[in-house]
Amino acid sequence: MTSLFDRRLLFIVGKGGVGKSTVATALALAAVRRKKRVLLVGLDFDDRARSIAGLRQAEGRDAVEALPGFFRQNVEGKAALEEYLHLIIPVRRVLKAVFDSKVYQYFVAAAPGLKELMAIGKIWYEVDRGRWDLVIVDSPATGHALQYLRMPKTASETFTTGLVHREAKRVWSLLSDPKATAVSVVTVAEELPVNETITICNQVRGELGLPEGILFVNRFHAPDFSQAELGRASVSSRRGVSEPCDALCKAVFTAAEEEVSWGTLNERHRQKLVAETGWQVVVLPFLFREEFGFADVEALSERLDDADRPRGKARRAEGHP
Amino acid sequence: MTASFRSIVERHDVIVCAGSGGVGKTTAAAAIALWGAKHGRCAAVLTIDPARRLADSLGLPLAGGKEVVVPTELLRAQGIDASGSLSAMMLDQKGAWDSLVERHAPSAEIRERILKNRFYQHLSQSFAGSQEYMAVEELARLRDSGRYDLIVVDTPPSRHALEFLEAPRRLNDFLDRKIIRWFVKPYVAAGWPAMRFVNRTAGFVLRTLEEATGITVLAEISDFFGGMQSLFDGFSERMDRVYRELKSPKTAFVVVSSPEEEVLEEAEYLSDKMAALGMPLRAVVLNRVHDEFTDPIDRADFPRGEIRGDDQESVEACLTRSGLSPASLVERLARNFVAYQDVARGDGLRLEMFARGLPRQVPIVRVPNFSTDLHQLGALARMHPYLFGHS
Repeated sequence: MTSLFDRRLLFIVGKGGVGKSTVATALALAAVRRKKRVLLVGLDFDDRARSIAGLRQAEGRDAVEALPGFFRQNVEGKAALEEYLHLIIPVRRVLKAVFDSKVYQYFVAAAPGLKELMAIGKIWYEVDRGRWDLVIVDSPATGHALQYLRMPKTASETFTTGLVHREAKRVWSLLSDPKATAVSVVTVAEELPVNETITICNQVRGELGLPEGILFVNRFHAPDFSQAELGRASVSSRRGVSEPCDALCKAVFTAAEEEVSWGTLNERHRQKLVAETGWQVVVLPFLFREEFGFADVEALSERLDDADRPRGKARRAEGHP
Repeated sequence: MTASFRSIVERHDVIVCAGSGGVGKTTAAAAIALWGAKHGRCAAVLTIDPARRLADSLGLPLAGGKEVVVPTELLRAQGIDASGSLSAMMLDQKGAWDSLVERHAPSAEIRERILKNRFYQHLSQSFAGSQEYMAVEELARLRDSGRYDLIVVDTPPSRHALEFLEAPRRLNDFLDRKIIRWFVKPYVAAGWPAMRFVNRTAGFVLRTLEEATGITVLAEISDFFGGMQSLFDGFSERMDRVYRELKSPKTAFVVVSSPEEEVLEEAEYLSDKMAALGMPLRAVVLNRVHDEFTDPIDRADFPRGEIRGDDQESVEACLTRSGLSPASLVERLARNFVAYQDVARGDGLRLEMFARGLPRQVPIVRVPNFSTDLHQLGALARMHPYLFGHS
């Protein structure tokens, strides 16, 4: 299996709220450590929703160097389509009339996927121009992300001639190449996200026909004590030091039991993911933090150095960092 | 005075749960409806989630577009004694649009053509706002049926809670009747050759785009609007009906959120904007909150009066004094405890900031971060004491 970091284009997809941006940024940092020049693309989302404290944001349409060798850029479907139309309708006056007209929206609606195709086309251009060793795409939540990924193939089949066909075809040949591209999925190991993730993984492999990357299981609890240990050390027999101390002991055990419970739940769902997707699974630990910031993303990125080891040898996350 | 969340649910017939994705909105909506059923109401929960999450959470065979009554025996088997009833329904977005086409297409042949129409497919399946619009249409339909006195709506996952309120309007703006009228004029339906002498912006724009991209759309758009004229003639009235439902004093908006920073930041903006839309925020459910340890603590061990991440040794000392061994377990348990305290403090601080941005009369309820899957009715009921207090 080609290492994730040796590809040129990585898509990060997954349900909302599972930590896609965190994983995408951590992957970018891990690649930078490997002396790669990396572009992290935010596909169709506003900055505010996915900011990481302490890391420079992308602004406007141009790439911004957040750290040496690490660039960020936003790509948006609507803007990408307008840019493309600028190229093929060079008369400014005409274009203005087009964009100002309400009928333009109707055209976009009647040519489904055109703006998605153009956004992916823009990403293709970034990969193709050779400015970056690796382009990582942080995608919007699942449903919308799959629309993007579906587009190049659909469009190359729907439109059999013309500009759009050519555009779709060259994008598809990049996306479907397992040496160049991989789609990675992020999830947390809880029931509902896991069910959705199994569907996504099967879609990527099946219907979409795209090369699979790694399935990242984020916020994983792996306690370094067991229920049996807690049982043996039961606190009830040891009351009577002082009231505050007794209460504290009780709270310590409650927290420990909660952690064991999370650990059991997460591990059960991790096994389910392994069994039902067949993807390579890499686990990222839950970080106990008052506030989540850039330093934490860096800590996670170090764990990702293992992410491209051969199947079955990926190290399991340890307990608390 | 702040009303209780319980009285908000008691006083309203429709509860709309809005919020961004991944915060447990579906679970909260199902738990609220279940509570209603327990307390004598004819409750229904309407989910819009294409990912079948409600079906997953209730363990019910929910097929799209149909109301399913949860059998009393099933509730009883889970330890729930309901004096009312609980129904659940999952929105079938495509099915709901298709049935609109059924109703409005003048003939079977036109109906088939419209169902295959690309413009229609986009509008019904991926146009931003069409899902939200259908959800509110379904809500209006459930209200009109008169079968329920409590309907809890779980909104589609969005980046922003406001999207649900604004989306139906967006669809209405898009379906501009002036433009629709243009598309159904006979010379448009006849195609480009017949339009040679019609010099209008609309024609010019479309033609430019078609030529530039090689994608032809005119025929399809015109066909769609032509076939569905009777639907769009009454569209504004339908939209008014739908908004009347949302703005009714019997409808309450509840924001469901997790204690994460980016979700909480906008409390003030959110409540102002909702008030301006005429759909005020009635309550907030904060889900997945880690609670801080609040019992009195020994100042001799913890001079700051609180327990933080760097207090691990003092916690160890207390555990050891209590006779806990071996030392390695003491160390691991103490480390785990202070780690949880850190997370809880972060949650607490963010929630405090958030609460400050809200109008005083809006109650906030906190639901802990359960470390078990809430996938069964009985498990959903575990949320009730946190939402509604102990009865």
